[in-house]
Order: sequence, then C-alpha cells, then structure tokens
Amino acid sequence: MLSYIGRRLLFLPLVLFGVTLFIFIAMSFLSPYQLVSSYIKSPDELKNQSLDDLVKKYRLDDPAHIKYFRWLGNILHGNLGYSRSANMHVMDAIKARFPATLELTIFAIIPVVLGGIWLGSISAIHHNSPVDHATRVFAIIGWSLPSFVFGIVLLMYFYGVLGWFPPGRLSTWADMIVLSEGFIRYTGMNTLDAILNREWAVFWDAIRHLIAPTISLSYLWWAFILRITRSSMLDVLNKDYVRTARAKGLPENIVIKRHVRRNAMIPVATVAGFMVLGMLGGLTITETVFDYKGLGLLTATAAQQLDYTCVLGTTMFYGVILVVSNLVVDILYALIDPRVRLD
Amino acid sequence: MMKKLIRNPLSLFGFALLIFFIIIALLAPVIAPTPERHKHEPYRIPRYGWQTTPTPPSKEHPFGLTQGQYDIFYGVVWGTRTAFFVGLVVVGSSCVIGVVVGAASAYIGGRTDEIIMRIVDVFLSFPFLIAAVVITCVLGKGLDKIMIAMVCFWWMNYARLLRGNILQVKEEEFVLAARAAGVSHIKIIIRHILPNTIFPVLISASMDLGSVVVTAAGLSFLGLGAPEGYADWGQMISFSRNWLLGAPGEPLKYWYTVIYPGAAIVLFVLAWNLIGDALRDILDPKIQA
Repeated sequence: MLSYIGRRLLFLPLVLFGVTLFIFIAMSFLSPYQLVSSYIKSPDELKNQSLDDLVKKYRLDDPAHIKYFRWLGNILHGNLGYSRSANMHVMDAIKARFPATLELTIFAIIPVVLGGIWLGSISAIHHNSPVDHATRVFAIIGWSLPSFVFGIVLLMYFYGVLGWFPPGRLSTWADMIVLSEGFIRYTGMNTLDAILNREWAVFWDAIRHLIAPTISLSYLWWAFILRITRSSMLDVLNKDYVRTARAKGLPENIVIKRHVRRNAMIPVATVAGFMVLGMLGGLTITETVFDYKGLGLLTATAAQQLDYTCVLGTTMFYGVILVVSNLVVDILYALIDPRVRLD
Repeated sequence: MMKKLIRNPLSLFGFALLIFFIIIALLAPVIAPTPERHKHEPYRIPRYGWQTTPTPPSKEHPFGLTQGQYDIFYGVVWGTRTAFFVGLVVVGSSCVIGVVVGAASAYIGGRTDEIIMRIVDVFLSFPFLIAAVVITCVLGKGLDKIMIAMVCFWWMNYARLLRGNILQVKEEEFVLAARAAGVSHIKIIIRHILPNTIFPVLISASMDLGSVVVTAAGLSFLGLGAPEGYADWGQMISFSRNWLLGAPGEPLKYWYTVIYPGAAIVLFVLAWNLIGDALRDILDPKIQA
C-alpha cells in the first residue's frame, strides 16, 4: 500500500512539470507582441513607450528556457498575469469564480448519481424487458442532448414562458444583499453563505438559479451512471451468493437492496469520483448557456476575446487541481477497495 | 455481430437515422441548391436581408431565417456535411496517432513504454474541453483550428486501448514464431499484431463520432469556430441564444431558431449513440452470461 502511494507521489511532480510544459509550449505559439498585452493594464501605458520598449522591458524576447523558469517562478508566487477580459489579476478572478463552479458541481452531483443509480437498477432488474428498453432510451436521448441545445430549450420554457428559473447566479436584489457590508462571504458559495448569514430569501434565490443548470447536467450524465450501474448489477445478479439469498427465501426487494445493489456500487463510486473532477473542468458550456458566472464562463469569455493570459492561467489552475485530486481519489479508492491496487 | 445489431430495434433505428443523414449530406446540392450569387462557396449560408430579428418559416424558407437573415434550412442541410467532415477527420486522425503511439509504446516496451505512458498521463490530466479551448485560442479561431485542437487531445484513449491489447498478444506464439523467422519489426506489427488487436480500437473510435461532433459544435457555440455564416450547427444554435426570450406576450416567438438546428444535432448524435450503446452491450463480457 505504502509503496503504491509512494510511487504515485513520485510521479506527481513529473506530471505537474508536464502540465506547465504544455502551457508553456502553447504560449510559445504567441508572438512577444501578443504576450505583452497581458502586462498592459490601460492604454495610457502606451503613451510614452512603444510596444518594442515594453517587450524589452518585460524581457519577452529572451531565449525559451530562461523565459520558462522566470514564468514558473511567477506562477509559484501566485502571479498568473493580468486578465483583460475580466479586468483583474487572473489569480483574483479564479478566487472569485471557483466557488461558483464548485457550488454547481456539488449541487448537480446529487441528482446525477442518485437518479442514475435508480434508473440503472430499474433497468437491470427488468433486464431485456420493455421497462429496460424504455429507461435506456430515455437515458440515451439525454446523453445525445448537447447541453447548449437542452439548456436553451430549458431557458426558453422555464424562464421565458414560466419565469421560474432565471439565468445567472442571483437576482439583482439578492446580489445587492450579498455585496453589502453586513453579509460575510465565508466560502464564496451563495447557498452556504446565505445559510451562515441567515439570509433565507437569498438562499432560495440562489437555489432557484441552480435548478435549471442542475436539470441540464443531470439529464446529460444519467445515461453514463445508468450504464455502469446496470452492467455491474447484471454482473452481481448472476453471482452465487445472490442465488443463495433467493434460495433461502429472502423477499426479492431485500435481495436487491442488501446483496445486489451494495455490491454493484463499487464501480459506480469509482466513476462518480472521476465524474466530479470531470464536471469541475467541463462546465464551460453549461455555465455559458445559463450565464452562470463560474470558472468555465471566465475561460470561455476570455477565449472569445483572445485573452491568452486568462485562458492559460485558468488552464494552469485546472491542470494542477485535477492532477492533485486525481491522485487523492486514486489513493482513497486503493484504501477502500483492495482490488484496485493490483492495477 | 452485425446480425445482433440489426436484430436490436434500437440500433436498427440508429442505423436508419444514420443512413438518412448520409443521404442528406450526399444530396445537399439537390435538397438545398446554392444560390447563383455564391456558387463557388456552397458552405456559406445565403442571407435574405440584413435585419437582426429572425423571420418565421415561410414557403420559400421552410425553417425560417435566423439572426442576420441566414436561411436555417440551408444551414441545417449543409451543416450535415460539416458534421460528417469534422467527425470523420477528428476521429480518423486521432485513431492514426493513437495506433502509432500505442503500438510503438507496447512493442518497444521497457523504459520507452513507461515514458510514453507518462506523457499520455499529462495529456489526460487536462479537462478535454479546456485543453481544446486553449489550443483554439492560441492558434486562432476557425473550424480547422477546432479540429486540430480536438485531435491533440483525443488520441490518448486509442493509444491506451491498443497498447493494452498488444501487451496481451505480444508474447503469443505466432509473434514469437515470426520473430524467430527473422521478420522485420515493422512487418510483425503490421502483418501479425495489428490485425489481431486493432478491432476494439476501431469500434471504440466509431462510437466516439457522436461525441466528437457534439464537442466540435460546443466549441463553435462558444464562438471559437467557423466565421459567421458558415454552415455549422453549433454556430446556428449560438445565434438562437439571443432570442430565447421571444417577444413580450409571445415568449416562444423564435422557437424555430433553436429547434431546427438543435433537432439536427440531437438526432445525428442519437444515431451514433444508439448504435454505440447496442455495441457496448454486445461486447460487455459481464452481460454475456
């Protein structure tokens, strides 16, 4: 066990080095003039000096390896540059936006996993019957609905017609409360902060804004969880101990609940862990559709405006977060399920 | 396997949909003829005016005109070609890269294998969409840039899959016999190893076509794709984002701007996913029993 963790930890710096290298190589496709834009905060700075002066001043024409180590030093000091599209330092923008993405992920993961497991068990118990087919068709349709199509249709109906689930993170009045001095931002997550500040109206408003993206994400991911639950439940249903349980006269629903579903959950848990990580990095389109101001929307807006600094900075952040949390998830699973260690 | 696929009503429906789209793509010039004024640029959607507000469906324009008076019907039909093109090029190129890297890694083995697999790990440590956004952003916007970006981050799974298969076959007698007979390494890989290992890779690649097309459309939706007016489903849907509120008193007034291109992409992806789902079932060893 220890050697497994040790081996994984040894690779960590190597993979992180690879991540920085990728971003640096991507950056080297840009000319010094494109890069210098990240240092200019206002047009006034160009009054007394030319672009060439600025390139010299920030030493953007140095050889690659010198630039790489200087850039790495900057990152280690938390300096990812200045974002034109967000009008602030990339690090500050990430700090402001990351809690929003985390909040949406936490909210979405509950219906995704529970709904997917429920659909998967129905499908497996009624294997090859019309119920099985109907559930799977329902899920495959969801899997085929791109979030930008489904999201727009959801907004058209639930916002346009019914006025229930508006886009964004908070209504204007709630935003005023959150930004006011009396409201303390403990976590940056609106729902949690509202509870801690006992602002129930704000809490409900935040929930109202989370529902539509959650529906969109859940329907998309159900097929995925369904497939894994179904496959692993069918596997367990054929096991000898299930036959024994049935033979000793246990009611079918207890057999399913106690013996089948629990054992079938191991692969689902593994996948769910990685899905959280995937969602953290893959909410770009969902956030754009619902105008939900999280990290994904930050990256997307920056990319549209060709704000390289911000795109590369957020990617650096994603890369590091994912590498480290992948490692943590892997190690946790190895601790929980001894079979994992073999591979 | 083909028999099982056709016997399953779901995958049969998938095949039917797919054939429908292939016909539309092939017959695009007949179904939606390019107007005389830009005969040489068939992928540019013709405009019928300059106002921003969409125009509802009419006899001449059965699906209506979207923002900027682009003809939706024309865009949907010619967009089918774009979808096939993007899907086949991205999956095909990723497959070639994946097969070369995977085969080299597994066949050479040892330290080379270890190094290549760690490089693959680095590629896998980025969220796919974000990585694609970075590359598109650095190279500049455009459909070709999107495809390059996607290939850069799509080949790893094929490489891993093929590597795993080759590792199993590598020490088998027919390979050892070929080696003992002095056959060159390249020939062993191409003649003896690949025919026995590449099949699952090809299947997995064909199942990915739907998701590739969705992702490419998603990048277009984010505004990183083809220039405005190009026949591309993702872009047409991004137009409709501005019209989802409708007009006062008529909340669903502009439904046609999202429903037609949306339905095209959903059905296209559904076709691939239905086939893929049935295929996975047939190939899943756990369900065999």
